[in-house]
Amino acid sequence: MKQITITINGKEITAAEGKTILEVVHENKLDKIPTLCYDGRIEPYGSCFLCVVEIQGMNRLVASCCTPIAQGMVIFTDNEKIRNSRKTALELLLSNHYADCIGPCINNCPANVDAQGYIALISMGKYDEALQLIKKQNPLPLSIGRVCVRDCEVACRRQIIDESVAINHLKRYVADIDAGHHWTPELKKPTGKKIAVVGGGPSGLTCAYYSTLEGHKVTIFEKLPRLGGMLMYGIPEYRLPKAVLDDEINWITGLGVDVKTNAAVGKDFDIQSLFKDGFDAVYLAVGAHKASTMRIEHEEDTVGVMGGIDFLRQLPEKHPKLEGTVIVVGGGNTAIDAARTALRCGADKVRIVYRRSINEMPAHPEEVHAAQAENIEILFLTNPKGIVRDENKKLKGIVCLKMELVAAGPGERPKPVPKEGSDFELPCDFLIGAIGQQVDTDFNKVISASTSVDLEKWGTVKINNDTMETSIQGVFAGGDAVTGPDTAINSIGQGKRAARAIDFYLKYGKVEKSLKPFYSFKHKFSEVTQVELSHFPKTERNRLKELPVAQRVSTFDEVEFGYSGEQAQAEPKRCLECGCSEYYDCDLRRHADDFNIDISTYMGETRKYKVDTRHPFIVMDPNKCINCGRCVRTCSEILKVSALGFVYRGFKSVVKPAMEKPLLETNCIACGNCVDNCPTGALTEKFPFKVLGTLPKQNIETVCNFCSIGCKVNFKVIDDNIFFVSNSTEELKNSLNRGYLCVKGRFGHRYLMDSPRLKQPLMKDSTGGFKEVGWDKAIDHTAERVKSIIAKYGPQSVAVFGSPRMSNEELYLLQKFTRAGLKTNNTGSFYNVLYGKQQDSLDSFIGYTASTVSMDSLRTADVVVVVNGNLSEENLVMELNIKEAQKKNGTKLILLNSSEIILTKTADLWIDSRKGSNTVLLNSIIRHVIEKGLFDKDQASTPGFEELKQMAAEYTPEEAIEAADISTEKYNRMLEWIENPDRKIVFIYNIDSVRDKSPNDLKAIGNFLQLTGRLGKNDSGSGIIILSEYANSAGLMDMGVTPRYLPGYVKEFEKDEIKRIGNAWGVDLTPIFQPADLADRLLKGEIKALLIFGEDPLNVTEHVRYFKGIEFLMVQDLVQTDTAAEADVVFPAASFIEQAGTYTACDGRIQETERIVSLKVDRENWKLIAGLAAKFGLPMDYASIEQVNQEIRNVNRSWNGSAAGKNLNETGKPQFSVYSTDMSVYQPEMPVIHYPDSYFKLLQEDLKYRSAGSE
Amino acid sequence: MKEIKIGLATCGIAAGGEAVFNEIKKEINENKIDVVLKETGCMGMCYQEVLVEVSGSEIPGSFMYSRVTPDKVKRIIREHIMENKPVQDWLIKGNGEFHGFSDNFFEKQKRIVLRNCGVIDPDSIDEYIANDGYKAIQKCLNEYTPEQVIEIISKSGLRGRGGGGFSTGLKWKLARQAAGTKKYIICNADEGDPGAFMDRSTLEGDPHSVLEGMMVAAYAIGADEAYVYARAEYPLAVRRLKESIEKLEKRGFLGQNIFGSRMNFLVHIKEGAGAFVCGEETALIGSIEGKRGVPRVRPPFPAQKGLWGKPTNINNVETFANVPWIILNGADAFNSMGTEKSKGTKVFALAGKIMRSGLAEVPMGITINEIVYDVGGGIKNNKAFKAVQMGGPSGGCIPKEMGNLKIDYDEITRTGAIMGSGGLIVLDETTCMVDLAKFFLNFTQNESCGKCTFCRIGTKRMLEILERITIGEGKDGDIELLEDLALKIKASSLCGLGQTAPNPVLTTAKYFRSEYESHIRDKKCPAHHCPALLTYSIDAEKCTGCTLCARKCPVNAITGAKKEVHAIDTAKCIKCGLCFDACRFGAVVKD
Repeated sequence: MKQITITINGKEITAAEGKTILEVVHENKLDKIPTLCYDGRIEPYGSCFLCVVEIQGMNRLVASCCTPIAQGMVIFTDNEKIRNSRKTALELLLSNHYADCIGPCINNCPANVDAQGYIALISMGKYDEALQLIKKQNPLPLSIGRVCVRDCEVACRRQIIDESVAINHLKRYVADIDAGHHWTPELKKPTGKKIAVVGGGPSGLTCAYYSTLEGHKVTIFEKLPRLGGMLMYGIPEYRLPKAVLDDEINWITGLGVDVKTNAAVGKDFDIQSLFKDGFDAVYLAVGAHKASTMRIEHEEDTVGVMGGIDFLRQLPEKHPKLEGTVIVVGGGNTAIDAARTALRCGADKVRIVYRRSINEMPAHPEEVHAAQAENIEILFLTNPKGIVRDENKKLKGIVCLKMELVAAGPGERPKPVPKEGSDFELPCDFLIGAIGQQVDTDFNKVISASTSVDLEKWGTVKINNDTMETSIQGVFAGGDAVTGPDTAINSIGQGKRAARAIDFYLKYGKVEKSLKPFYSFKHKFSEVTQVELSHFPKTERNRLKELPVAQRVSTFDEVEFGYSGEQAQAEPKRCLECGCSEYYDCDLRRHADDFNIDISTYMGETRKYKVDTRHPFIVMDPNKCINCGRCVRTCSEILKVSALGFVYRGFKSVVKPAMEKPLLETNCIACGNCVDNCPTGALTEKFPFKVLGTLPKQNIETVCNFCSIGCKVNFKVIDDNIFFVSNSTEELKNSLNRGYLCVKGRFGHRYLMDSPRLKQPLMKDSTGGFKEVGWDKAIDHTAERVKSIIAKYGPQSVAVFGSPRMSNEELYLLQKFTRAGLKTNNTGSFYNVLYGKQQDSLDSFIGYTASTVSMDSLRTADVVVVVNGNLSEENLVMELNIKEAQKKNGTKLILLNSSEIILTKTADLWIDSRKGSNTVLLNSIIRHVIEKGLFDKDQASTPGFEELKQMAAEYTPEEAIEAADISTEKYNRMLEWIENPDRKIVFIYNIDSVRDKSPNDLKAIGNFLQLTGRLGKNDSGSGIIILSEYANSAGLMDMGVTPRYLPGYVKEFEKDEIKRIGNAWGVDLTPIFQPADLADRLLKGEIKALLIFGEDPLNVTEHVRYFKGIEFLMVQDLVQTDTAAEADVVFPAASFIEQAGTYTACDGRIQETERIVSLKVDRENWKLIAGLAAKFGLPMDYASIEQVNQEIRNVNRSWNGSAAGKNLNETGKPQFSVYSTDMSVYQPEMPVIHYPDSYFKLLQEDLKYRSAGSE
Repeated sequence: MKEIKIGLATCGIAAGGEAVFNEIKKEINENKIDVVLKETGCMGMCYQEVLVEVSGSEIPGSFMYSRVTPDKVKRIIREHIMENKPVQDWLIKGNGEFHGFSDNFFEKQKRIVLRNCGVIDPDSIDEYIANDGYKAIQKCLNEYTPEQVIEIISKSGLRGRGGGGFSTGLKWKLARQAAGTKKYIICNADEGDPGAFMDRSTLEGDPHSVLEGMMVAAYAIGADEAYVYARAEYPLAVRRLKESIEKLEKRGFLGQNIFGSRMNFLVHIKEGAGAFVCGEETALIGSIEGKRGVPRVRPPFPAQKGLWGKPTNINNVETFANVPWIILNGADAFNSMGTEKSKGTKVFALAGKIMRSGLAEVPMGITINEIVYDVGGGIKNNKAFKAVQMGGPSGGCIPKEMGNLKIDYDEITRTGAIMGSGGLIVLDETTCMVDLAKFFLNFTQNESCGKCTFCRIGTKRMLEILERITIGEGKDGDIELLEDLALKIKASSLCGLGQTAPNPVLTTAKYFRSEYESHIRDKKCPAHHCPALLTYSIDAEKCTGCTLCARKCPVNAITGAKKEVHAIDTAKCIKCGLCFDACRFGAVVKD
């Protein structure tokens, strides 16, 4: 490719002609150009215009993703104009993005508690996790779960349908569960910094908690005798039992917080003295404890008149005795609390006097209703004017005025004005003024010569709202002291923010303003209407059980009981899941944050659509679509499926299937590659969970466990039991599968979450039923039974079977146990029993029957020949790689297949041969090659050549054409494409596919490749890739889980190798390693004890014939399979994501996997084998699976060369490869791996052509 | 032999031409007269349709009747055909002279593209051949190499008439040079600008000149296959093209070895489904390929990778129609007309508040005033000329103050408008420029394919701002917001549609800014057009109390006794304007 020189941001760069600006900038790491529509794997498109750059001399900005570089171009990737344009592009996109980033509940909470998140976790039964999520923002869930004003519920969209979700009740439910043990996150190492928290209310406690977690040493100074602030002294016991509050406070202080009660700032010490005492920072959270006056005469000096908050403050210590009539003035929560408390203190009649109407009442409606239910009378539009008292200054009553409401300014509550001459008298014995509280500014008194903090003119502490800092450096303030009387949750939010600010201050000496993230909300576009939510059925809110009124008015017992378990499961289902499941993965939102987006400039009409959930795996929310077309283009360009397209034009255009049909009714193959490519939440996976919150996910890469291609898959893990596959990470785009997956890889792994797993070993008892037993007992029992069978029938009566989906390490140990422990060669898999016929077809050529080239050879192949099988269904990603080769390199695809499959559409030549005739066709090609002399001349002297020639001579073109029933033209074209000895030809053959097989296809391909010099030559780039159905089919053979080979394909005649391996294992293998036909032994009933690991042969009923002689059956599996149901002992298995291991892909790539979620059973799978082996005198004392891996490197000769160290693959994961003879092409920096020379010699002696006729 | 020609292009048909045609046929049959009745295309005087031309009678020359209706037919047949006495009352042209009607419509015109329109029967190859048809292609095949043909076209200075103004010769040269043996010619006949009908008339009136132009282009670049991408909304043009192609195939003018040469040439017709953006060449190619009509990134340009990935040359109808004339008359004949950088003629579709709406082909370099006054006959209804809107929805407005501007690709581009395909809409004092900008933006906004962010959402947001301005809800800063967004849309859109969509807004905001300001600040529409900003009242001096307005008012907002001054209740008034139209004394005042 021609190199040209360009200048980017003043730097001269040389790059290949034809590359786009974006590619060059990113490859040279010159800048991170933002983009939404770009995906390097598909053709550039240029629609989002986020990637614009400026080219000198051009008036317009250009989309860098689709503008090729040109000689001498001078490019700027970042300047004012560019940023401005990108910002506008985002603002425009977001102005038409009718969606919620997070739930309104979360946004409306002053502490931003992730309500949708914990509701989701509760719906999944994850109560601990739900509580842990709550505690990230709120350390007082027990108390807040009882008394919160629930701004979340105020914002809840569910109200549009019926009533809000009972969010707070759910919080209380999990908090009550936690109350016994108080989950605490790990505390960070002590920092040596000291923080003084002045005021032990919710804000101070919160700040203390989060500061302690950060490793700071906190001391709380509290003026009153007990901690808790207004929660303790302002909220009556029947709403929040003191024991509950104390429990929560004690938990926090128990984390290492020092507490000094009865220590009043401004009296016992002052702010400056704290610094002298060695504190590094101060958090002032003294609250607002001073009752406001009613401003009526004699309020101060009349007996029986008191402030509401003063009245309530006595409660923790004593219940004051009241009698007669009590009047409470005010309409807030304190007024209600005072009134209900007065009733419980013995008052005969309690009245509330409030100057506005019920609609304006600031108290929580539920509280108001509760008060009314308790027979408390509320006089609305009434205001006290004066006090009536006797000569002893004892209260007798009050004079009130009736009020009228007059409209006030917009956004203000109507103003009450007195009605002239409406005075009336209300007799009473007590008057409680609960019209508000103020900050008691006594705290600011200075004791010695020092400064005090600045106050606002109304008496609250003045702070910098961005940083929580007061006028004194190192002093922060929050809670009611700053805001005036506010809610507990608001104080908690401030406490958390203060803790973060103080932590910053202590670490860096200053506090920086944190930017508010961008959130899109539907209600910012327009009111969310009932119509939009009409598909949600109405369901009533689950109500709390309450103490009956008669009981509660006489005691301070808690009125509300918590939810029952059923209620806690039912209520989350009412959540509408407003927040986006892609919150943490949304590119659009991420860029919006980066550019500090404000969408108000361009607000206008928005598209609105119903969310389409009809597809079983994919949810389409076109409201979130930004028309980048990545899904559409992936579906058409990569998959050639075109299930998705654009409908409508202009502003209305949107991605949908043609004719707006449901996706399910298109030819969608459910591969889900569209989902991974969506930069927003427009296409998401349909989760099997009830509710999904905006929960953070961790990306963990592993290898797919389905077919043999060995695709990289990325698990997004929310929690040990909540995860899904999503290949959207950038790294995966460079992997061999380029991030693409098939339906199995993407959605199939769900079975790991859904299925009811076996947890404990099971043993069949005398009644034939299973009973759970301990591992040791089950292992003992198994060993005993096997020993007695060996004693009776000899070691050949035992067989051990493993699955081609097990890891190499498990398989290695399994056969080692069989051979060195049980002293029998009966090791294999039902996979070979059922498919074994062809599995040695290529042995005589290369010593094994597996791929001879890597998948990368597709990148250089001139011709790819797919013989039998349906790649689209069996190995989709192989099909995608072939399509890529066709497109990029003009590779020709020849398909030998009798039936029309998806690949026939894109094949360059479809040989629609009659079923079973492919061997004939291939043999006739061999004849042609020999006749024309188009073969490797060295081969003419190879033993077997003459036989081959003779055999092939029988297959004339005419006969082949007739047998295959194809056109002469097709036949000739096939010959033309593959006869040229210089062409790189790769055959692809699925050994497990049942389609169109003729028995000797594989041998015929082997003959052709050998004859034309395409086998065993390092740089030929030609060969065969043998695909199979299971992830580790290749490893199964390589590890020797077959009676035919020892590990490394060691055969019976390789005496030295057998001896070497035997020495390594400490046994003489020569008498043991006697290849035999396992299927035959099973069918004859010679096998009496069968140990099956991870296979389920009995799910096909006819396989019962293999079980004729079985007297003892042991099965290990994930779930209770059909085979396990017949077993005497069943062991639970760990899934592949619960343990580390290596797997060998179809082309010999060995890929390591790591543990992704924690182990769901007691032990890793290999430990069962080790446990059994120990009973047979074979110690397997490996410390870890890594040690097993080391042993394989030493024992298995095909792994030789890898022993030196690990090699890394494209995505940085350990990987190396066996089989491939063409390593230098594949990975130039990797050492070329060969079998030992002696092995090749042996092979050459054995080498002869097999006569491969049509059977 | 007498000959009667009747203009049956779409304009003629729309004016009732078919009924007139049938009536003439009936008369001929009834009276058994020996006369040839012929259809012809549009001659451009759409404002005079139905036009009937009679020639070959005992009186020499031809006679043109305008605005003929079926009831006039009998007299024309009887007096003119049978008695050789032309009907003087209805004639606009006789004996080759303009007669009794001071119409100098053709005076400043120069007809190259429209040379056969309204003259020959478009359905007859023979008539086309008789008028030098298919001589140009034969001349090329016999006398010129493809390179020489390209040289002639280059030298002629012909530029793309679809609006781009790219040198046709250069375009052909690039396609000629592109590697590959299979190449395509595409004729872009997806004329979508509101008010533009140049291509339609050409295809209806003279399809062969376009086909011949395509043949020459195919010869020049080495193509053997072509597509005409025509609007399905032009059924007559499509029919004529189809029939013409069939006839050409029968004669061997299309197919293998045309005109006995080694050249093979096939032409297909692809009917567009009505998307304006498919006039953009890459979207058009996508549409022919059966894909969604969405522009794609250039480069690669169609000349390198076009239809089905092969080198492709796309020209517009008018460009092709010029070609045979240039080949036959020479490059110099063509480049002697026009300005320094714009040669030849340009066909304009005159529409709007102009006396003579229709098609006019004028030499480049003519001024706007000449077109409006001399060709177009000035403004209708004695209103004042305000501006011309040129270039369709991608174009812009040029104010009357710039009336002496010489029409030329580059001059017009300098104003902020574009030449475009030739739509020219004349605006008078009653046109609100904000409303006009809104009209065109509404069009492009609807026709955006929806691919690029700025075009898809940006034009929508601009339209919303214009809408609020015209209903009196404009805010300070709206003009600046419009201009900022407009420039960003122009700077960051993939195709011409997005890159030009803001032009009507930008030019009106530039030349008529005060009108925008009045809407926003004073909540007034100076042109008295935007209903939401109008108040209707009655001038007591002029009101005669005739009650007509009160009777017309649909909401009973007008009160007043007979012979007494009436009054409008502005609270009730819905600003429908019926009273204003009804008043015969000018007493209803709109402000």
